Amino acid sequence: MSGHVYVGIDAGSSATKCIVLRTERDSTDDAVGHAVVPSGFDYTRAARQVLKEALAAAGATEPEITACVATGYGRSSVQLPESVQLRRLTEITCHARGAREWYPNVRHVIDIGGQDTKVIRLCDRGRMADYRMNAKCAAGTGTFLESIAVRLGLPLSEIDALAMESVVPLTLNSYCTVFTSTEVLERIKAGDAKEDIAMGMFRAIASRVVEMLSTGGRDGPVAATGGVVTYCSAMRRALEEALEMPIHRPPLPQHAGAYGAALLAREAFGERAAIHEPEPVALNHIADSACCSGTPTSGICGHRDLRQGEERPC
Amino acid sequence: MAQTAVKRVEIEATSRLKELMRAYFLDLDAASKDHNRRVAWCTSVGPCEILSAFGFAVYFPENHGALLGAKKISHEIIPRAAGLGYCAEACSYMNSDIGCDLTDRSPLKQLYGIDGPPRPDLLVYSTNQCRDVQEWFQYFGQRHDAMVTGIRPPRHLGDVTREQVADVRAQLEQLIERIEIRYEQKLDRRLLREAVERSSRVSQLWGRVLETARHRPSPMTFWDMLIHMAPVILMRGSLEAIEYYETLRAEMEQRIADGVAAVPDERWRIYWEGMPVWPRLRELSEKFFDLRAAVVASTYCNSWAFEPYTGGDPLDWMARTSLEIFINRDEVRKERFLASVFDRFGVDGAIFHNARTCPNNTNSRYGMPERLRRRLDLPVLVLDGDLSDIRFFSTAQSMTNIEAFVEQLEGRK
Repeated sequence: MSGHVYVGIDAGSSATKCIVLRTERDSTDDAVGHAVVPSGFDYTRAARQVLKEALAAAGATEPEITACVATGYGRSSVQLPESVQLRRLTEITCHARGAREWYPNVRHVIDIGGQDTKVIRLCDRGRMADYRMNAKCAAGTGTFLESIAVRLGLPLSEIDALAMESVVPLTLNSYCTVFTSTEVLERIKAGDAKEDIAMGMFRAIASRVVEMLSTGGRDGPVAATGGVVTYCSAMRRALEEALEMPIHRPPLPQHAGAYGAALLAREAFGERAAIHEPEPVALNHIADSACCSGTPTSGICGHRDLRQGEERPC
Repeated sequence: MAQTAVKRVEIEATSRLKELMRAYFLDLDAASKDHNRRVAWCTSVGPCEILSAFGFAVYFPENHGALLGAKKISHEIIPRAAGLGYCAEACSYMNSDIGCDLTDRSPLKQLYGIDGPPRPDLLVYSTNQCRDVQEWFQYFGQRHDAMVTGIRPPRHLGDVTREQVADVRAQLEQLIERIEIRYEQKLDRRLLREAVERSSRVSQLWGRVLETARHRPSPMTFWDMLIHMAPVILMRGSLEAIEYYETLRAEMEQRIADGVAAVPDERWRIYWEGMPVWPRLRELSEKFFDLRAAVVASTYCNSWAFEPYTGGDPLDWMARTSLEIFINRDEVRKERFLASVFDRFGVDGAIFHNARTCPNNTNSRYGMPERLRRRLDLPVLVLDGDLSDIRFFSTAQSMTNIEAFVEQLEGRK
């Protein structure tokens, strides 16, 4: 095959995501393969598996890989053959790059992941200006939601669906996951509607995000990435309520870090990608892979579609 | 970031430092077993010159708290202090020292073959840093049936006034009087003046050692300074400390002349604000080294670089020194000081350590990092952690934070 294959692997605390960019010679468009698998106990194995699936989706093979950027908490565990140029960068840089590719005018990226939440501010040239990360406590992260879902005996998708039915503006106020679980029980005892309690959980996260966002000042469009936004429509709703503005949700929010990593691999080791102005493009040929109600699988789409994407309806 | 194969150059004076520390602790141990000698415990920026002029062997328990953290013992023994009702979020130096007392796990035993911290005859605090030291000393005073006393300087000062100096000076006189009565011994004011002169000399030399880090590339980093600051805390009124810092300064100046960098190919210069994370010193120093980032200056190490004693009443100098230290100043003075040091050391960014159990030596809680970021257009990072209790520190999250911070600096190039 002519052209190049650039890979981004985001070995996150809960899920490992991969984006493969396949650049054909004499082509203005790239193909994108993407996949996500649970990280489990073995980041190296998860990275191998997700790469295999994403390569297959992109119609590429491992020997064709030109360069890779590994990111996420498990980035140091990502292993590739020595022939592949491998760089490790934090997910903060990678999410910023991915989000910027989708939304060239975006100035803030909210990445709500399993282990932590980051709020990244971009400068007008698209580079990371600064960022905030939540404190050590899990409150405000995906783990916070999962922990309470377990306590309530409901899958997260059901909590999300319940939250979307909420009509009463209820917010859970606790600052810590354990205390919030207790507050949920108190709300149940007090007779609050389960829909409102569910939405209150998302509002609790959103209020932490607003804290972080406000610290550095807010001065432009906001995009939300990461697993929680991927799987929970209520998260986006809570963020929009809290920020009092619409936020961008990219086509593959959970893959934003991997996408940014693949773009950075291409920029570091291959062609330098220019940031294009967005054009309205239909995205109906992105394969089902990771929308709020979907099971994470793998898929393929056009890179241009991803780069210029608007969010998919959930 | 790619790992580097470059090795760091060891500081030659380290072997002399080890000898000094060994001699210091062996002497303390001997003093605690000798009925003709007395041991006083003193806080790190406390009135130690008075104690040494009285003839006490002076021990600084905060150093032991740091040691318990550095040896990764604190988190195992702090729960014992909590069992006595000491809050886990109170000073982790205090909690680990109390936990150590309850478990008999002092690293001093293995390091120097001594029985552990010396038994105090007298405990003298200054609350110019925090009030935790007072409670800490009260515990050990009761434990050893020893006299606990101290001074309580005014806190969080803007300009230091003559009245405030007079207030602390009067407290120092009262302290002297209490010790004189308790031990029926008159303080030899000549010895006090000599101790102050030596303290000032040691402190000045330490300041000059720190100043060598202004050079690009820096001959030493914060991680080195944390090790080599021991004499200025533990032995600051001694001739040995003077000799030691003259040696260390000469070595750093030779490094500058020879072009030896503490971090080869130094790309970034960072300021560290707040307490060190003692249990993760190695990991942090290696991370910064791999990132080609030299932490060239810190509030913490600078805390023992006092204004010089230029004659006059030594108690005036002690009073002024105890008031003027960074930790005892208001936000305006602290911010002004930091902006000036950032500029003098040419730092690319500043890291503020939000130490969970040390609010007094944490300066990220009232908006200072954000104000400095905006005013100076300087990247800042607030890192959550603790000085000693590792349960408040997430290594993975912190390392990602530090790497991302350096990536942010790269983006500004």
